[in-house]
Amino acid sequence: MTLQVIAGLVVFLGAYVLIATEKAPRATVALTGGALMVLLGATDEAGIFFSEHAGIDWHVIFLLLGMMMIVGILRQSGAFEFLAIWAAKRAKGRPFVVMAMLIVITAVLSAALDNVTTVLLIAPVTLLIADQLAVPVVPFLITQVMASNIGGAATLIGDPPNIIVASRANLTFVDFLVNMAPLVVLLMVVFLGLAWLLWGRKLSYDPERAARVMALNEREAIKDTRLLVTSVGVIGLVLLGFTLQGVTHLDPAVVALLGAGLLALLTRLEARKVVADVEWETLLFFAGLFVMVGGLVNLGVIEQLGKAATEAVGTNYAGAAVALLVGSAAISGIIDNIPYVATMAPLVAGLVAAGGVAAEPLWWALTIGADLGGNATAVGASANVVVLGIARRYGAPISFWEFTRYGLLVTAVTVAISVPYVLLRYF
Amino acid sequence: MRLVDLARNLPVVTRRTTALEAARRIAGDRLSALVVADETGRPAFVVPAVDVLGLLIPLYLREDTRLAGVLDEAAADELWSNADRRTVGELLDDDDVRVYDILTVDADATLVEVATLMAAQHTSIALLDGPEAAEEPLFITLPTVLDAALTARGMRGGQTA
Repeated sequence: MTLQVIAGLVVFLGAYVLIATEKAPRATVALTGGALMVLLGATDEAGIFFSEHAGIDWHVIFLLLGMMMIVGILRQSGAFEFLAIWAAKRAKGRPFVVMAMLIVITAVLSAALDNVTTVLLIAPVTLLIADQLAVPVVPFLITQVMASNIGGAATLIGDPPNIIVASRANLTFVDFLVNMAPLVVLLMVVFLGLAWLLWGRKLSYDPERAARVMALNEREAIKDTRLLVTSVGVIGLVLLGFTLQGVTHLDPAVVALLGAGLLALLTRLEARKVVADVEWETLLFFAGLFVMVGGLVNLGVIEQLGKAATEAVGTNYAGAAVALLVGSAAISGIIDNIPYVATMAPLVAGLVAAGGVAAEPLWWALTIGADLGGNATAVGASANVVVLGIARRYGAPISFWEFTRYGLLVTAVTVAISVPYVLLRYF
Repeated sequence: MRLVDLARNLPVVTRRTTALEAARRIAGDRLSALVVADETGRPAFVVPAVDVLGLLIPLYLREDTRLAGVLDEAAADELWSNADRRTVGELLDDDDVRVYDILTVDADATLVEVATLMAAQHTSIALLDGPEAAEEPLFITLPTVLDAALTARGMRGGQTA
């Protein structure tokens, strides 16, 4: 092992520790790590900007950018508030039914939108409904963020790890729907049962408070009907564009950017409003991460690890898939699943290249494990951290351990269901 | 014109004052900010009235203003009735609320000095230091400063320079 490789590993592991412990802003850490990789000679401008396997994955960056712009415009329409209140009224103000409706809405929205955005949008209206019902809001917030992490697994755009896997494995939106959505539907049914056992059965029904929910006027949440209709229409077109990738051969990133551009054009919003919700820090974090991982690829570290993994796995891809799924869930519960998947993707790519079709289910094992592991602890996914912050600001704090003791249970159950799903479906 | 002639008494609340009482003071005296005393009872902080309003309106409504429209009258009544559960102390402890240390000005300061200090420190109320004879603390408010300055130059509403 050369000095350059050792230095590269030190930079990478040091950055990982800083990201996991949140000692410094994650974008700063990733970009600094990327810069050190350049200084070490592990990568260069050609590698960073133009290498498909060892550079910044522009498919991921621009897909995220496009979706952030679309969601930023849609959120101004009041659609989320309308939907949540409408659902609470359909539930006739019965607390567990309201909780179940909000769980399903969050999961479905998370499949189409970023998880963090979804929980940010649904939290204020959840507070309002819980206030009207005079029920504790914490169970609603916890179930929503968990539903978001599970629901986000269903599609290519639902969770950032999925976007990375799709790009590295050349998987389409339809591939994700066919392989992930059936499992997610099954997991959501089980999760609804868990939600009843853990929280729902303790919620009491008060007809007077239910009447308060029924008196809410959800139509008032929509201030601009034209904006709503246009936003929903364009999102429909974008989802259609994702689905027809096999026919149009348009990359999801291109579809998302075309959708964002069309929406900006139709709504005639000022440019600053169109990009107001773009999380530039997140995009820079991804860019820095790709440069760091690219450095390891160029130094041959990933290839060596891939060879070791290939030898260890042999042809036992079923065992490898189970280990990858469970291991990914465990690791993603402790560290952010984005850097984890960004690092593992080239490794899994090596295994799939060596094993061919028989090894392809490893991509699904990685995706399922990384997505579901996000529920395990309060810091397992960005959405968890965001919801804990919201709860604290709203005066209903959720402690790390309160979240984690439920999270570990939900993760254990969902992973336990996913293992036989993978084995029965692919092996 | 002497500052003491422009000064007036203002209600001074404490950490324990409820949001409801604070709202009554603001409404009764048409205040744009509220003076808060420290533990010794001396005026120490100024809290903008709009932040006191924030005690009455739940954070989720402030962060998603579209939701305010969906509430009916009964729900709105309940919001206001919660005002006696919150206190001014919550504002003082809230990192997101800009609480200003009280601006103290000498009794012999000029109007432009007071105006300059108010603009520099972003505060609309100043405590007059002295006169010693005053039993209650006296304050100069921003509207008073503006009124005096404009009147002195014949620029108040309806007047020309």
